[in-house]
Amino acid sequence: MKLHIMRRLGGNLHKAMALPALLLFAVFFLIPLAQGIGISLTDSNGVAKPNFVGLQNFADFFRDDRAKRDIANTVLFAAASAPLLNLFGLAYALLLDRPFPGRNAVRAIVYLPAVISPLIMGYIWYFLLQPGRGFLHQVGERYGIGALQTDWLGSASTTLWVIVLVNVWQYVGMTMIVYLAGLQSIPGEVLEAARIDGAGYWTTLRSITIPLLAPSININVVTNIIGSLSVFDIIVALTDGGPGYSTESLSLYIMRMLYGSFTGYSTAVAILLFLIILVPVSVYLMLMRRRQIEA
Amino acid sequence: MRTPIASVSKGIAVMVVSLVSLLPFYSLFYLSVRSPSARSFEGQLLVPDFRFANFVEAWNVSRIGQAIGNSLVITAGAVLVLILFASAAGFAIARNRDWFHRLAFRLFLVCMMIPAIIITVPLYTLMKSINGINTHWAMILLLAAHALPFSVFLYTNFIRAIPREMEEAAVIDGCTPFAAFWRVTFHLLKPVTASVIILNGLSIWNNYAQSVFFLQDQSMRTVPLAVSMFFQKYGAQWNLMAAAAVIGLAPAVAAFLLFQRYFMKGIAAGAVKG
Amino acid sequence: MARGKKWFALALSAVVIATLAACGGGNNASSGGGQGTQPGTGASGTSGKKEEVKLKFLTGKVETVDWMNDLIKKFEAANPGIKVEQEYQKDASNVIKVKFASGDVPDITTVVTQDFIDQGKYVDLTNDPVWSRIEPSIKELSTDIKTGKTYKIATNMTMAGIFYNKKLFNELGLKEATTWDEFHANLMAIKEKKPGVVPMFLAGKDSWTLGHLIEFMAHGVIKQQLGIKDARAAFINNDTAKLAFDAPGGSMETFAKRMLQLEDDGLVNKDLLTATYDNQKQEFAAGRVGVISQGMWVLADLLKLDPAVKDWIGFSPFPPIVDGTKPVVLSAEDSAYAITADSKHPEEAKKFLQFLFQADNQKAYSEFLKTPSAFKDVSADWGVLKEDASKALGKAVPIAFTDTPSGFSGDDAGRMVQELFAGKYKAPADFAKAYAETWTKGWSAANKK
Repeated sequence: MKLHIMRRLGGNLHKAMALPALLLFAVFFLIPLAQGIGISLTDSNGVAKPNFVGLQNFADFFRDDRAKRDIANTVLFAAASAPLLNLFGLAYALLLDRPFPGRNAVRAIVYLPAVISPLIMGYIWYFLLQPGRGFLHQVGERYGIGALQTDWLGSASTTLWVIVLVNVWQYVGMTMIVYLAGLQSIPGEVLEAARIDGAGYWTTLRSITIPLLAPSININVVTNIIGSLSVFDIIVALTDGGPGYSTESLSLYIMRMLYGSFTGYSTAVAILLFLIILVPVSVYLMLMRRRQIEA
Repeated sequence: MRTPIASVSKGIAVMVVSLVSLLPFYSLFYLSVRSPSARSFEGQLLVPDFRFANFVEAWNVSRIGQAIGNSLVITAGAVLVLILFASAAGFAIARNRDWFHRLAFRLFLVCMMIPAIIITVPLYTLMKSINGINTHWAMILLLAAHALPFSVFLYTNFIRAIPREMEEAAVIDGCTPFAAFWRVTFHLLKPVTASVIILNGLSIWNNYAQSVFFLQDQSMRTVPLAVSMFFQKYGAQWNLMAAAAVIGLAPAVAAFLLFQRYFMKGIAAGAVKG
Repeated sequence: MARGKKWFALALSAVVIATLAACGGGNNASSGGGQGTQPGTGASGTSGKKEEVKLKFLTGKVETVDWMNDLIKKFEAANPGIKVEQEYQKDASNVIKVKFASGDVPDITTVVTQDFIDQGKYVDLTNDPVWSRIEPSIKELSTDIKTGKTYKIATNMTMAGIFYNKKLFNELGLKEATTWDEFHANLMAIKEKKPGVVPMFLAGKDSWTLGHLIEFMAHGVIKQQLGIKDARAAFINNDTAKLAFDAPGGSMETFAKRMLQLEDDGLVNKDLLTATYDNQKQEFAAGRVGVISQGMWVLADLLKLDPAVKDWIGFSPFPPIVDGTKPVVLSAEDSAYAITADSKHPEEAKKFLQFLFQADNQKAYSEFLKTPSAFKDVSADWGVLKEDASKALGKAVPIAFTDTPSGFSGDDAGRMVQELFAGKYKAPADFAKAYAETWTKGWSAANKK
C-alpha cells in the first residue's frame, strides 16, 4: 500500500521541488564554503599569492594563548547561557501558559527584546551599565544603593556574567515561545488524569510535562548551543572583547584575524569553531535519538 | 495553582518579568526624548523632558526613511523567496525517503552550524562577478540562501506531521502531486509559515554582517547600517543616538506586535512536532 | 482546481516579474537607484552605452562625509559627465582589503597602507603639480620609504599632544611639564588639591586612544633618536636592532612602568577600562579633568560640547617617558588621498582631486575640520590653539604616526595596554616582551618572503 502511494506521489516535478532551494543554497553558500575551506589550508593574507601550508594554521591555533583563552571564554559563555535560557524560557512558559487578563501582552513584552538588533541592544545596555554615567549607577547614587555602583564591565570576573545575563534577557523570549508551543500540544486529558490521580504540581511537571516537552527541549537546546557558541554582536557592543581580550569570543577573534591579514588562518579557526559547535550538538542529538528509540 | 497565595505570587512574578523586560526599552525611550546636556542622566531621573524634536532631527540627519525603504524591499523579497523555496524543499524532503533527500536534509542541518565568516571573501568575489554589489536582488537571494537551512528544517518537521492522505485526496481528484502541494498542503502550513516569516524576517531586517559589505552605496543602506553610521557620527549626543535607535526599532516592533497574534497562534497550533 | 491554480500562477508570475525587473542591468525601481553595472566600476567593459564616468571614493573619515557630499555636488555641477560616489566605511582599512581581494576597487581613497603600496595598488603621484603648493615636509611624510615615491597627497597637518585645563593649572600654579617627574608632580598636585577632578582621563574602552599612547609616547623615544625618515624606515622594515622593543630599560618597558605608576598612584580615572572617547570629551569639556592625551581632531567636538572651552584649553607636547630624552609632539599629515592603480578613470579622478585642492575649497575644509592646511597658499583661521600649537613645535621634537603592520594595528596595541592596566603583566618587562613578539608576528603576516 505504501509503495503504491509513493509511486503515485512520486514523479519528476515532485522530486524536483527541492532543487530551487538547493541551487540557491549551493551558489550562495556551498560553493563559497568550499573555496573558504581551500583558503584555510593556505597562508593567504588576502593580498599576496597564497602558499599551501596544509594543517599548519590549525596547529598554530593551539599554540596561541589568546586563542585558547577565547575557546574558554566561548565555551564558558555557552555553558552558562544555554541552561539559563532554557530554565527561564521554561519558567516563563509555565508562568504564561494559562490564560489570564493581559497574558498575551506579557508574552509579547518578554519576546520583544529578541526583536531588536544586537547592535542597538548593546548600546541600550551600555547606557544602563556604564559606571559613573550609566542609568543603574545614577539610581544607585541617588538612592544610596552601593551594589548598583560597581563597575560591571570593568573587571574580567563580572564582565562575562554580565554578557551572559544580557544575552539571556534578549533571547529568553524565543525559548519561551517554543516551550509555549510544546505546552499547548500536551493533551489536556493527560494532565486531567494526573490531577485526578492526585499528583501535585511538581510531580506532574517532572513526570509528565517535561518528558512530553522533549521535542521543544531538543529544538531549544540545539538552537541555543549554536547561537551561544557563535556569539559576536553582543560582545562587540558591550565590551569589544575587553578589557584587553578577556571577553573575546572565537567569532570575534576570527573577525579580527581576518582583518589583520591572517586570512588563511582565520578561515581555519572558523572551521574549528564549526567543529566545536558540531560536537555538542551531535552528541546531544545522538543521546536524544537513543532515548526516543528506547521510549 | 488555585490558592490565593499562588495567584498573588504568580501576579508578582508576572509583574517582575514584565518590568525586567521593559526596563531597557524605557531607558532608551527616556534618553531619546531628553534635551541635549553634558551629562547623560542629570536632572529628573525617572521622568524625561519629552523633547520630541530629537526624533525629527535624528530622522533627517540619518536619512533613515530611505534606509527603511531599502530594508522593506530586501526583507519582503527575501522572505517571499524563502517561503516559496523552503516550503517546496521541505515538502520534497518530508515526502521522499530516498538517499538524495535524506542527504539534502542532513546537509541543511549541518550547514546551520557553520559560521558565515568562513565564506566572506569568496562570497565577495562571487557578488562582484555577478554584478550583485549594491543591488537589491542579489542581497535578497543571498540572505534568503543563508536562511534556507533553518527554514527547511522547520518546514520539513512540520510537513512530516501532516498525513499524506491530504495530498492523496487531491491526487485522487486528478491533481498532480505538485499542484496538490500548493493547493492543499501549503494552506495547512500557515502556522509554520508565520514562524518562518517572523523569525527570518527579523534576522534579515537586522542583518549587518553581510549588508555592510555588499550594500556600500549610501542610498542602498538598510536600517542597521544607517543607525550604525549615525552612531559613529554623533556618538557624543546620546539623546540623538537614542532617538535614532528608537526609529530603527519601530518598524520591527510594530510588525511584530501586529503579527504576533498569528505567530503565537501558529506556534501553538503545533509548529513543534519533533 | 481553479482556485489553487490561480494562486500558484500568481506566485509564479510574481517571482518571474521580480526576476525580470532585477535582470534589468541591476537597476532597481526602488529608492536610491543603486547601480551595480555602470561603467567605471572596474568591471569588465560591458558598458559603453553612456558616456558618464562614475568615480568611487572610499573614505574612513566619518567627520568629513557630509562636507564631502556638498563638495561632490559642486564638482558634479561643474563637471557634467562625471559622477562621484562616496562610500564611508567605519573599518575602511579592513574593508578595502576585501575589496582589493575581489577586484572591486575604488578609484580614489583615503586608505593608504604599506601592504598595498608594496603591491603597487596606487598611482605614482610624485610629480603631481600640486606639490608645489604644499609644504615640503608634508610631501616628505607622504612619501613611501621603501620606494621613495609618493602615492598619496595630504592636504592637512594634524598634531597630537597633551591638552590641559589652563584655568586649573593657573589656579594651582602648575606649568607645562618638560620631564616625566614634572608631569607626575602636576598630576599629583591636581589629585591632592582638587578631589573632584580626574588628573588624567583615559578612554580605555576605545582602544585606539591607548594605542596612541604607545604610538606617541613610547615610540616617540625611538622616533626622536632616529629622526623622522629613518624612524619610518625602521618601523616599516621591522629593524629590530633599532626598534629594540624588548630591550631592558627600553621604550616599551619604561612605558609600561610609567603607566602602571599612574594607575597605582591614582592619577587616572578608576573606570578607565570602560570609559569611552565620548566620556573623555564630555568630562574634559565639563572641566572635571586635568589633562588628556589627544589630537587636534578632538577640538571640533569639544567646542561643540561647550564653546567656552576655547577660553581655557591649552596644548603642550607629550612629556618624555625616558629620562634624558626630549618631549615630543605629533606633527603629521592628515586627510590624504590616493588614486588606485586599477582605476579605469585616473584622469577623471585627478580632475576631482584638483577641484578638491582648489585654494578656496581647502580653506573651507581646514576651517571645517579645525586643522591647519598643508597648502602654502591657504591661510585658514583653523582654530583656537594655533598659538599653542606653534609653541609646542618649538619646544618639542616633532614625530610622525607609526606605520603599524596590518597584523598588529593600533587597536590591537591599545588592547594590550588595556590588559596592562587590568594587571595581566606581572612586570613591565613582560609587557615589553609580549609587545615585541606580537609586533613581529603581525609584521610577518603581511611581509612574506
